[in-house]
Amino acid sequence: MTRDRGVHDIGGTQGWGKVPHSPDEPPFHNEWERRVLGLMFQVLRHTATRPGEMRYALERLAPDDYFDHGGYYGRWEAVMELLLEEYALLAPGELDVLLGAKEGTGPAHRASPVAPKDPQKLPADRKTPQPNHRTVRRELVDPPHFGVGDRVVAIGANQEGHTRLPEYVAGVVGTVVKIHPAEVLPDSTAHDLGERPQHVICVGYRAEDLWGNKSEAGVVINVDLYENYLTAVVEAT
Amino acid sequence: MSSGMDHHHETDPRSPEVRTEALEDLLVEKGIVDRSRVDALIERFENDLGPMVGARLVAKAWLSPEFRTRLLDDADEVLATEDIQGAETGPVMDHIEVKANEPGVHNVVVCTLCSCYPWALLGLPPNWYKSPEYRARVVREPRKVLDEMGLSLEADTEVRVWDSSSETRFLVLPEQPEGTDHLDLEELAHLVSRDSMIGVARAEKP
Repeated sequence: MTRDRGVHDIGGTQGWGKVPHSPDEPPFHNEWERRVLGLMFQVLRHTATRPGEMRYALERLAPDDYFDHGGYYGRWEAVMELLLEEYALLAPGELDVLLGAKEGTGPAHRASPVAPKDPQKLPADRKTPQPNHRTVRRELVDPPHFGVGDRVVAIGANQEGHTRLPEYVAGVVGTVVKIHPAEVLPDSTAHDLGERPQHVICVGYRAEDLWGNKSEAGVVINVDLYENYLTAVVEAT
Repeated sequence: MSSGMDHHHETDPRSPEVRTEALEDLLVEKGIVDRSRVDALIERFENDLGPMVGARLVAKAWLSPEFRTRLLDDADEVLATEDIQGAETGPVMDHIEVKANEPGVHNVVVCTLCSCYPWALLGLPPNWYKSPEYRARVVREPRKVLDEMGLSLEADTEVRVWDSSSETRFLVLPEQPEGTDHLDLEELAHLVSRDSMIGVARAEKP
């Protein structure tokens, strides 16, 4: 609607084949996947520590690195290179030089930069008690604007950058199913613009409203949305 | 370094295997990474975390209606009481919701935007859960996807898909298979597969 759909934002997109499912699939297929998992947590401690920051780095990878660089753990390897270069723990192209590859061919070189975000277009920040352990949950004094059963619509992000609004629900009317605990707003924290905590609203969408009258019957898709994404819908009776 | 000593060692500098190996060596050399801590973390994920944690909760809920009610009403409180920790060094376990399957209602979990998953209860996610095929399709045609995965639902069963777009994580409480009332907690927990707690399978029959 108002922005390009990110490489990661694939819910409801078409043209995909069968799910590569096997019931007893192990978590790792190769030793290098194990090493990536083990490395990631130490790398994150030195780099992406804000909520949403690591996810946003993944979203900025080139499509080839996101989908075709060894799957999920390959994507993690690519994002470690990106974060390490952005935090100046690796020099640009350092790994390529070490490997004897052409400098500037790595995933960090191909990734998109952090998009500039206008804080004026984000909801106002508000003070909440700081929790005594690491968590994204916050206690808000103000009650949520919406209640269970309310009809709501998410209009879509008004600027580039990280968001947790999947494009497939933007502009579609849904019904509030539940209110989850409030959290810091990743659209803001990923860009280092403060916590701006929001109530989290679980919204149920009927498949026919999302996908049209040829959709499967009796299907509801529930999506957790930060309150600032949502507007109340007043329906004519 | 520790990897790939098999018959076909990858040498392409673009391959994730080669880059991972070189990256680990480089980060150890720079003092950013401690190799023994990498080993310890892998060990923890492979041995201490896994679907057996979730399976025991499910089995307990089958045995005790009171426990089941508590689990569905406030899983966070139950997990605190049961002393189930988050993945610790990993993502913080912030809020868990358990969704019960029952006659006429089937739940299935996905994360379309990335690959969010209840690590503390199920361990590391399988590849298919993180695949673009699953992420893209299960919100558009869940009945067809589940059918392809071997789970066919009655046409009048409502399908509820939960897209993990905030920090809330979902676990499906599958229905208890018939004829298992005499089993104890350990026996019941063995019937509860990882897939059944994601919502792409039923609990197994003994």
